[in-house]
Amino acid sequence: MLHESSRGLARSSEFITADSDRFSGGTGENVYSRPMTMPAEELHSPPVELTVFSGPLDLLLHLIRKNEVSIYDIPIFSICDQYNAHLRSMQELDLDVAGEFLWMASWLLHLKSKMLLPAVAEGEDDPREELVERLLAYRRVKELASFLYDIDTVRRCLWMPELATDLEESAELELDWEDVDLRVLAETYLQVMQRFAAAHPPPLQVLPLRYNVQEKMRNIYDRVHEEGLMPLLRHLNSRSDPEEVATVMVATLELVRLRGVLAEQSRPFAEIYLRPGDRRLTANEMRDEEHSSD
Amino acid sequence: MIATIEAILLTASGPVSVAALGEVLESREVDADGIRDALSTIASKWNRPDSGIRLEKVADGWRCFTPPELDSYLRSFHGVVARQRLSQAALEVLAIVAHRQPVTLPEVNFLRGANSASTVRTLLERRLLRMAGRKKVVGKPFLYRTSREFLVHFGLDRPEDLPDPEDLVRDEAIASE
Repeated sequence: MLHESSRGLARSSEFITADSDRFSGGTGENVYSRPMTMPAEELHSPPVELTVFSGPLDLLLHLIRKNEVSIYDIPIFSICDQYNAHLRSMQELDLDVAGEFLWMASWLLHLKSKMLLPAVAEGEDDPREELVERLLAYRRVKELASFLYDIDTVRRCLWMPELATDLEESAELELDWEDVDLRVLAETYLQVMQRFAAAHPPPLQVLPLRYNVQEKMRNIYDRVHEEGLMPLLRHLNSRSDPEEVATVMVATLELVRLRGVLAEQSRPFAEIYLRPGDRRLTANEMRDEEHSSD
Repeated sequence: MIATIEAILLTASGPVSVAALGEVLESREVDADGIRDALSTIASKWNRPDSGIRLEKVADGWRCFTPPELDSYLRSFHGVVARQRLSQAALEVLAIVAHRQPVTLPEVNFLRGANSASTVRTLLERRLLRMAGRKKVVGKPFLYRTSREFLVHFGLDRPEDLPDPEDLVRDEAIASE
């Protein structure tokens, strides 16, 4: 029944013969009958929205129909001019799309030049043959597309039962071979790999320490003994790397423990000053202590 | 038995084949013809103007659906403002694949005279197309076929049920004479 009605609609649309509207028949909101006002007598027509043409073949078919010429005997000269007029009227070109239209323009120019050669008159193969074949093939595609459009117009309004998701999940999903395609397989594979990655997080990496406690101990010890006084917090605040801060902190605590330096703080949160301690430490002692604390 | 089939149809998420119904109804000792009779009884019960449920044969199975004229009420009930229509490019790609399947992207591009890669991707996402292996030519391009969803959406029993585009064009010619 649907078949019949949509066939009826399609039948009223017209391809080759005179018809300024593309697909005169059909429903009001047919894509093919979007506003397309183009006075037939005007050769250099007003700008046409190029997006309404799905490609260069579409535009060419439109011109052929508009000019009421036969698809088998295309007047390449005038069609080529009109085609280029359309191209010029495209103000802002999407390069991807424009490329396809330009390719057709160059083909038409090529045909135009070929038509000028005497060979055509002597009854050799018509250079337009390939173009005609492409157009005929495309016209069939368009016809089928408009057929599908008519069905879609009705059938997109149908609703069908949808299973509650919990019901669907509880049942073991049965897949038809029909439903399995490469894309589904690839998606499934990616899902499995994601699950695997989630279940097997990369192991924690322990990076080698970038700062060395002995070295810091020696630095601080030397500085305290050179300058007599060292503000610890200011020193720590000037370090941007938390790892270095931690190393300095450990080194300081170690020095205090060895009584190589003394730490003083007048009140909580005030600056901590380091002074020389009551023992002189040897370089060896600092290294040994570090080793023994390992 | 009619009640059972009705219940199955109402809760199935896709078309139900006669064979699947036969498996469920095994204990009742009905054959495929009996099931088909029951289905046509249901169809005559449902496919009436005063019914909100319809039955149709699609994608080699049976499916219930709502009549299209109720769409506006259903949409406002479910809060669906508008559904996206298939673009002209999408319809053309579907037409090419449906008619010439299996087909590769370069073949689609050639017939349309325009690049169709993004359209094909969208149609794959909407599950109207499916991948069906690779063509054994240089570059091994993917082959595409229409899916079961395509049949369901366009109310076709099999892909072959689409009219031959040649016939459509010929109809045009006859009508215009």
